[in-house]
Amino acid sequence: MSVPAPQRITTAAPDGNPDGNPAGTPATPPAPRWGTPGRAVRARTARLLAGALLTALVAFALLGPLVWHQYSGQDLSQFLQPPSPAEPLGHDHLGRSVIARLAHATRLSLALAVLCVATAALAGTALGLLAAWRRGWLDQLLLGISEVFLALPALLIVLIFAALASGELWTIYLGIALAQWVEYFRVVRARSVSVLTSPAVEAAGLLRLGPVHVLRRHLWPELAPVLLTMATLGMATAVLAMSTLSYVGVGLTPPTAELGLLITEALPYYHEAPWMVLAPVAVLLLLLVGLLGLRSQEVRR
Amino acid sequence: MTIELFDVQVTHEGRTLVDVPRLTLRPGRAVTIVGESGSGKSLLAHALMGSLPHALHATGEIHLGPDRSSLTDTRARRKLWGRRLALLPQEPVLALDPTMRVHHQVAEGHPRFLHGRRGRAEALELAGTRLAGLGLGGTEQAYPHTLSGGMAQRVAFAAATIGGAEVLIADEPSKGLDTGSRDALARLLTRHVDQGGSLLTITHDLDLARAVGGTLLVMRQAGIVEQGPTEQVLARPAHTWTQRLLAAQPRRWTPPWRDTTPDPAAGTTLITGSGLRKAYGARPLFSGLDLEIAAGERLSLTGPSGCGKTTLGGILLRLVPPDAGEVRHHPGLAEGRVQKLYQDPSVAFAPRVPIRTGLRDVVRRHRADPARVHLLLERLGLDPALLDRRPGEVSGGELQRLAIIRAMLVEPRVLFADEPTSRLDLLTQEETVGCLMDQVVEHGAALVLVTHDLDLAAAVADRQVSLDGIHDAEPAESERTG
Repeated sequence: MSVPAPQRITTAAPDGNPDGNPAGTPATPPAPRWGTPGRAVRARTARLLAGALLTALVAFALLGPLVWHQYSGQDLSQFLQPPSPAEPLGHDHLGRSVIARLAHATRLSLALAVLCVATAALAGTALGLLAAWRRGWLDQLLLGISEVFLALPALLIVLIFAALASGELWTIYLGIALAQWVEYFRVVRARSVSVLTSPAVEAAGLLRLGPVHVLRRHLWPELAPVLLTMATLGMATAVLAMSTLSYVGVGLTPPTAELGLLITEALPYYHEAPWMVLAPVAVLLLLLVGLLGLRSQEVRR
Repeated sequence: MTIELFDVQVTHEGRTLVDVPRLTLRPGRAVTIVGESGSGKSLLAHALMGSLPHALHATGEIHLGPDRSSLTDTRARRKLWGRRLALLPQEPVLALDPTMRVHHQVAEGHPRFLHGRRGRAEALELAGTRLAGLGLGGTEQAYPHTLSGGMAQRVAFAAATIGGAEVLIADEPSKGLDTGSRDALARLLTRHVDQGGSLLTITHDLDLARAVGGTLLVMRQAGIVEQGPTEQVLARPAHTWTQRLLAAQPRRWTPPWRDTTPDPAAGTTLITGSGLRKAYGARPLFSGLDLEIAAGERLSLTGPSGCGKTTLGGILLRLVPPDAGEVRHHPGLAEGRVQKLYQDPSVAFAPRVPIRTGLRDVVRRHRADPARVHLLLERLGLDPALLDRRPGEVSGGELQRLAIIRAMLVEPRVLFADEPTSRLDLLTQEETVGCLMDQVVEHGAALVLVTHDLDLAAAVADRQVSLDGIHDAEPAESERTG
């Protein structure tokens, strides 16, 4: 780490003539942007709200199972008990605590979504960078494979895997990750090709700065905001895909607490205990709103 | 229609960017505003048009013939756009819609284009006639990206004037054009004036100002420092600022680096290109070209835009493979001892990373002394605080000087400068070239300067290679860039 001089001089810099501008205008580091401040404020508020919502949901998913740890214990004497202070969402048709099941379901959905997105993003980004860097036949091969995946509907890929071993968690994980890596691959590849052929990277090549510099200073700053956006969107898709599969009965199987399963199980009792259906739907909705709220901010950046 | 502006003030967050008490445009008269970048000359034009960005506030009064209105009332003027007021945009290559054919793009400005099938046919017919009149017959179906800078400028001219506007405002119309295209543009503008239109040209190109004639206003720091007939102001400038501006033209330079010209015979040959040939599609750029670059020499590659100067540079730097022939580098050029300066320095830096970080990577990689960055900043007259900004937040002239610093950290033996100052105004150009030549002299590096400005080439280089006669394509063909 040999950068002694810069810091010292920066702090000593007078605010006289920062950009050599003969007009001698006061120092305003970034060049003036003619934008409306109102939009930025609103976007920041939206992001804060979305962040708070997500934090609350994550806290519920992490702490909820500790508070209400009995999510599969049946007690038929509690059949469809309405909400009470001790059991904020009452009991289901088998007398199980609904809030405990909801907390476990939320934890499962979030954990699986994070895992799927992390796997898909890592694999897709790595392959996209490889294709953009090497070009040639490798690029063509990877592009061909990605096109095969693109041609199939994402849910169909997940369904095929889910059908291999019905109700197993790993098949759902693998299916969703396989359906999602393609978009990371294609976006990363397309962006990286344009970055790698830019004059800035050409100049870095002439300066012999090497691949680590290109990755850190040119590719990563360009890709990171897009990847973040895609990851939040991908989380939402993963959560939805998983609950859709359970809802139609090809995903996880009953004793497990899962958002889609909770809805299916509660549907017959909608008239007697509407809170049982509405609670998982609300969690799903809030989760998606939170994730998409974060995303819109990333796009504007 | 005579246009008069009174007490024009444009402010941004309390800072006055334009302060002009009076500006008059008369039919059949040309008015030209010259000045450095940031002097407010473009903002004045946009205040007249009513097309200022929202954050800027304009006050003053405008008289359009008998109509009087306040400058804040932009809606009244918006109705006149295309019909009575027209703006010839900066960088027409970017201003034209890339997905639209030239023909439709021009016809769209016709007042009857949206009035049924007859009006549309009429507009398209007139567009065809106008394009043919500008020497663009046969390009009606072309897309803008297939046109050269000069051709795109003429298409933009046709599109701006087809609505019959008598007041034409040209904002830096000659930016990025070579001498031939610039003269053609000046003839177009003069013709508009001769036909009774009025013209306001904003430029930092004194040759364009001279060719257009009329009245010249010299702007500096938001205000007008001198005005009068163009001939007179350019021949006998009264204000010291105007004198300085005139002295900044390359043909008036008294370059100190001339005295330090090294003996070309003494230098070893660093780059040898033999039998080079390159073509884009069916169009040959050059063939059978032999070129040697010796240590310490100063060479210029000149020619009109699109003749392959930049491509030849890329081949000599071994960034672009030639179709035939070979390029040999002296072993001493390994490890980054060949560096390049780009026409637009903002694309040559990683856009999202502070400049300090980029320079630090260079210092570490080449084990340069970190103190040299500050030494060079001082030599080139740059504020060290600039290092904390991103490339997009630094002006073009400063960024080009930062690019020179970055190149010099590697102690190059050959420096390849591709139109390094063609986007800068005269004063910034003088300053930047001064810095560049200081460094070249100090390090004894060879310089290859690519430029379409023959005066600049003459001021800087000892040896000139013109690519004009090397390829034998027809003139019309040679205007298309790749």
